[in-house]
Amino acid sequence: MSYKIPMGPYHPALEEPYKLDMICEGETVIDAKLHIGFNFRGIEHLAETRNYIQVIALMERVCGICSNIHTLTLCQAMEGLTGQVPPPRAQYIRVIMAELERLHSHVLWAGIASKLMGFKTMFMTCFEIREKIMDVLAAISGNRVNYSMNRIGGVNRDIEDPAAILAMIEQLEGEMMRTVIPIFTTSSTARSRCANIGVLTEEKAINCGVVGPTARASGLGQDLRKAAPYAAYAEMDFNVPVEKAGDVRARLFVRALEIIESCRILRQALTKLPPGEINTGEEKFKFITGTATSRVEAPRGEVIYSVSWKENSRNPSRVHVRTPTFANMPAVRWMVMGARLADTPLIQASIDPCYSCTDR
Amino acid sequence: MILLEALKQKLGCAEPWVEKGGVHWLDPGPLTVRELCMEMIACHARFITITAYQLPKDEGIRLEYHWDLSGLLLGFPFLLKSEPGQTPTIESIFDLTEAVDWIEREIHEEYAIEFTGRVYEPLLLREGDALGVNLREIANICKPETGAPGQEEVKK
Repeated sequence: MSYKIPMGPYHPALEEPYKLDMICEGETVIDAKLHIGFNFRGIEHLAETRNYIQVIALMERVCGICSNIHTLTLCQAMEGLTGQVPPPRAQYIRVIMAELERLHSHVLWAGIASKLMGFKTMFMTCFEIREKIMDVLAAISGNRVNYSMNRIGGVNRDIEDPAAILAMIEQLEGEMMRTVIPIFTTSSTARSRCANIGVLTEEKAINCGVVGPTARASGLGQDLRKAAPYAAYAEMDFNVPVEKAGDVRARLFVRALEIIESCRILRQALTKLPPGEINTGEEKFKFITGTATSRVEAPRGEVIYSVSWKENSRNPSRVHVRTPTFANMPAVRWMVMGARLADTPLIQASIDPCYSCTDR
Repeated sequence: MILLEALKQKLGCAEPWVEKGGVHWLDPGPLTVRELCMEMIACHARFITITAYQLPKDEGIRLEYHWDLSGLLLGFPFLLKSEPGQTPTIESIFDLTEAVDWIEREIHEEYAIEFTGRVYEPLLLREGDALGVNLREIANICKPETGAPGQEEVKK
C-alpha cells in the first residue's frame, strides 16, 4: 500500500521554503511532486520600476549566496545596450569575485551536505573555512553578502594589494586541501552515505536541461566559462571536472574538484591582474532600444538575463532571469524515485538548491 | 558560423541569422515551435529558457525560445496574437523536452498564455489567485471575485 509523505514547506531538508510531496511504498519513494512559490517576490516586475542604478542593487538581492553573479550578468547585459566595454583590470576583478563566490558557495554546500550526512564536525570545519573566504570578499568589497562590486562598464572597487589577497587564498587553499577535499573524495563515511543514491542518468540530465555541477556530475561537460567565455575567463587555464556516475557522490566530487580549479583560477587572475582603470568612468548612460542577453556560470550553473530597454527610458521595460535552481530542481523528482525516504534530504541538497533564486 | 548555416538549412528558414544583443537570432518563419524543438533536439542543442514580452497596445505577446548549441546562444522569436478577451495560445513542447516544464507553467501563470497539449499544475499561484496578473499590464482576464489586484490597481 502506498502512502503520501509531505515534506515542507518549512525546512524540508534545508532552511528554505519548498514542499516535496512523496508517494512511498514502505521506505521507498515511488514518485514525488515539487511545489515552489511560497516566497515568490516578483522581482522581475519590480525591476521594471527601477532605474539603471537601482536595478543593479535590486538584482543583487535575488540571491544571498551568488549575489555578485546576478549583478555581473545584469551589468554584462546592460553593457550590451549601452556600448560600454569594461577595461581589462575590471574583467579580471570580475573573475576574482566570481571565483571567490564559487568557493564560498561550494564550501557552504559542503558544510550543509556534511550535516545531512551526519558528519557534524565537518560542518563546523567547512563553516570555519567559509568564514575566511567571506573575510577575503569583505577585504575586497567592504561587504560580506551584497558586495556592490559590479556597475555598468566595470567594477566599483579596485584590488589594491593583490599579493595580500593571494597570500590569503594560498592559506585557504592549504586548509581546504588538508580537510575538505580529502574527506569528500576519500572518506568512507562520505562514500557509504552518497554512492549510488539520487542517480540522474546522462539521458535524463539532457532531457531535464540541468546545469552546472548537477549536469557535470551526470557526464555533461558544459561550463560557460569554457564554452562561451565572459569577463577574463578566456585568459585562464583551468579544467572542467566531469563525473559519469550521476549520483550524490559524483556531485560531491565535482564540487570538491571545482574548489581546486577555482583556487587555480584565482592564483592566475591575482598574479596577472593588469594595470589600468577599473571602469569606464562614465556616470550617465544612453541606452539603445532593444534586448540584450547575458549568461554566466554561477556556482550552481548557468544564469541567464534578458534585459529590454526603450531609448530615453529611465527603467528597463523587461528583465527576465533564469536561475540555475529553476533548471535543476524539477530533476529532483527523478533523483528521489526509487530512493530510501531517509536519503531524500541529502538527495535534495545534492543539487545545492537556492529558493531565493527560484522564488525571485 | 558553419554550424549556424548548417542548422539554418536543416530548419529550412529563409531569413539569415542576425547576431544582436549577445544572441544569434533566427526568424523561424512557418516552422512551428514543435518542429523547431524536434530539430534542435536532433542537433543536440540544449534548451535554456523562454522569455515572454508583452508588446505595446494590441500587438500581442512575443515568446523567445533560447537554446544553446556548442556554446552559442540561439534565439527564436514567436509572436502570439489574439483577439481582445481571447487567450493567446501556442503548442507546448513539454512532451518533447522536460526542461520546459517549469518555464511554461510560469509563463502560463504570469501572462495567461495557454500552452496547448499539456496538463498544468500550479507552480507559483495559490488557490484563488488569478492568471496573468503578475506581469501583464492589463489583467483583463483577472477574475474580480478573487480579489487579486490588477496592475492598474497596484499602481494606484
